[in-house]
Amino acid sequence: MTEENGTMNSESEDFLSRQVIVANEHGLHARPAGKVAQHAQTFEAAISLVHEDQEVDAKSILDILTLAAGPGNMVEIRATGDDAEEAVESMVQLFANKFEEG
Amino acid sequence: MADKILTGISVATGIAIGKAYFVNRNHKAHLPRQTIAASLVPEEVDRLHEAFSTVETELAAIRKQVPAELESHGLIIDTHLMMLKDPKLSGAAEEYIKSLGLNAAWALEKAVSDQEAAFGAIQDPYIRERMQDVRAVADKVQAKLIGFDTDLTAISERAIIMAHDLTPADTVELQVDKIMGFATVRGGKTSHTGIMARSLGIPALVGVEKLEDYIHDGDLVVIDGLSGKIVVNPTETELTEYNERAAYFEDYTRKIKRQCQLPAETFDGSRVQVFSNIELVEEVASVIDNGGEGVGLYRTEYAYLNRTELPTEEELADMYIDLAAIMSPRKVVFRTLDLGADKFISSYGELNEANPAMGLRAIRFCLKNPQLFKTQLRAILRASAYGNVSLMFPMISGVKEVRQAKAWLAQAKAELRREGVEYDPDMPVGIMIELPAAVLIAEYLAHEVDFFSIGTNDLIQYSIGVDRTNHLVSYLYQPLHPATLRAIKLVVDAAHQAGIEVSLCGEVASDPFCVPILLGMGIDSISMTPQAIPGIKRIIRQTNMHDCRKLLKEVLGCRTVSRINSLVMDNIFKHFPEEVTFFSSLLENDESPT
Repeated sequence: MTEENGTMNSESEDFLSRQVIVANEHGLHARPAGKVAQHAQTFEAAISLVHEDQEVDAKSILDILTLAAGPGNMVEIRATGDDAEEAVESMVQLFANKFEEG
Repeated sequence: MADKILTGISVATGIAIGKAYFVNRNHKAHLPRQTIAASLVPEEVDRLHEAFSTVETELAAIRKQVPAELESHGLIIDTHLMMLKDPKLSGAAEEYIKSLGLNAAWALEKAVSDQEAAFGAIQDPYIRERMQDVRAVADKVQAKLIGFDTDLTAISERAIIMAHDLTPADTVELQVDKIMGFATVRGGKTSHTGIMARSLGIPALVGVEKLEDYIHDGDLVVIDGLSGKIVVNPTETELTEYNERAAYFEDYTRKIKRQCQLPAETFDGSRVQVFSNIELVEEVASVIDNGGEGVGLYRTEYAYLNRTELPTEEELADMYIDLAAIMSPRKVVFRTLDLGADKFISSYGELNEANPAMGLRAIRFCLKNPQLFKTQLRAILRASAYGNVSLMFPMISGVKEVRQAKAWLAQAKAELRREGVEYDPDMPVGIMIELPAAVLIAEYLAHEVDFFSIGTNDLIQYSIGVDRTNHLVSYLYQPLHPATLRAIKLVVDAAHQAGIEVSLCGEVASDPFCVPILLGMGIDSISMTPQAIPGIKRIIRQTNMHDCRKLLKEVLGCRTVSRINSLVMDNIFKHFPEEVTFFSSLLENDESPT
């Protein structure tokens, strides 16, 4: 598992990117943020989330919480690395499934 | 004299004598702050990560033991686990060890402060509050680093648990058979510690300031849940006294417990129903054990707290149906949500109310958020098909509110009918009488509903205009203030005039000193914490309705609280000398502290 410290400098390298909408009822709160981080950690790729000019590590629950992305907000998923394509696809799914909430 | 006598808020009664055992302390106050030699940095970094992974392993093990009914605790623990694994926290601390040469605990403290700064800027109050979780996680790691053993499973002998604060994770982990009592610095009347202690039948005090300063592991302590005192290292004489008192109390509780299933009937044949106030479905066992004839007040707030998402109708209905079915044919009175907007997740917006006690809460909040209200009403209605269910609305101030609330109920019923879902069409609907306005128009309100329930805690605060948690004015909080008594009388009379029943569910109901007066008023039922039932039933069974009415008449003629209190106390001293020894009463003199 790779660990990213600090914000990633995304402009200097190529990355895959997809826009998603936070579709669950209360936004990226503790439980969804935990789900996202847990999920991101299963990939080798460096994955980040961008919301309102703030880019954070998708593998860190604390980082995701500080994004404070509310319901209906647009978030960009960026990934770079070997399994970046798979990672982005799967992260998009997670957002689409509203973080597998019941 | 003992080394020290500390006082706190008693949340569970009884007396325990034993060795103190600290499960956690306020580390921040004792945090070692040292810089370390460059050569020791790698070792310190290892120590940091080791502490993180030990806490993670322990917490993961606890997570596995969380019973299904405490799943909400489990989800909090999941979040804590994610935070422990988060490289942001441990990584930032590691950086501080490397760059500034700080010891691990201090470095972590700085990393937590950084997080605090990042979270402090967040608008969403719910997310901002998650900082508490970061803090809780860091506390555990710091405790490991400092060498405070927080391994609760390591308690080898029976002990009295001391803590700065007990988290849900802590309480899941505790080996209940080894615990004789609890004392914590944090926490209030409704804290989790109290619920847990009451269900275990052991004493507990919360809000004990200076606990950590005066008590050390292994100290002999007496926890007196009757008077709210902790005696640290008592003398031989004090110890003998407390031993006798504890034994005497145990005999007494055993005696009243044996008779607790008997009906609450006075000598001269008047029957009063004795119900219980509960917060968790799990408490029903203790309601039945203690002779409760039903649940007079089910506080439904718990399911809405400490979570990110609102509970679904399904989730609520499952819980409500369980409760109704287990208690059936006994009655269960559901009180609809009695929370303020401040307690809710951010999707309802930040209101910044200057005075939340008089703000958007309880029925007002529900009427503003009909979706949330209807979800709960539907769940309660669904439970009504499985038992003897009643429903009541809190904080009603006028007729219009009752009609609006009932209109939503009618709509929920219509929906269920259309969907073919079963419910009790005749489910009784009542209201809480806790605002002076409701008291004064009780005769109008009585025509709108099937029963009244007087909530004296709030009624006293609102009618005297006093916040009882404010120690500058709390002396004014007087259950037997002539105004309180007149208010109760007015409500009872209005209810009976209209042919509906009236119940009372404040703390006054569990105060043995006050019960004879309530009987004299003609209250139909009283509702209290399960543990208070045996004692109160005993008082009722040894009372004469005739005497209660006489006492009430005398009391209603008094103009001051002190005169009323002394009449009431004389009565109890004369008839119930034993109760006087064991029960603390709400009654105190209304003298301003100097």
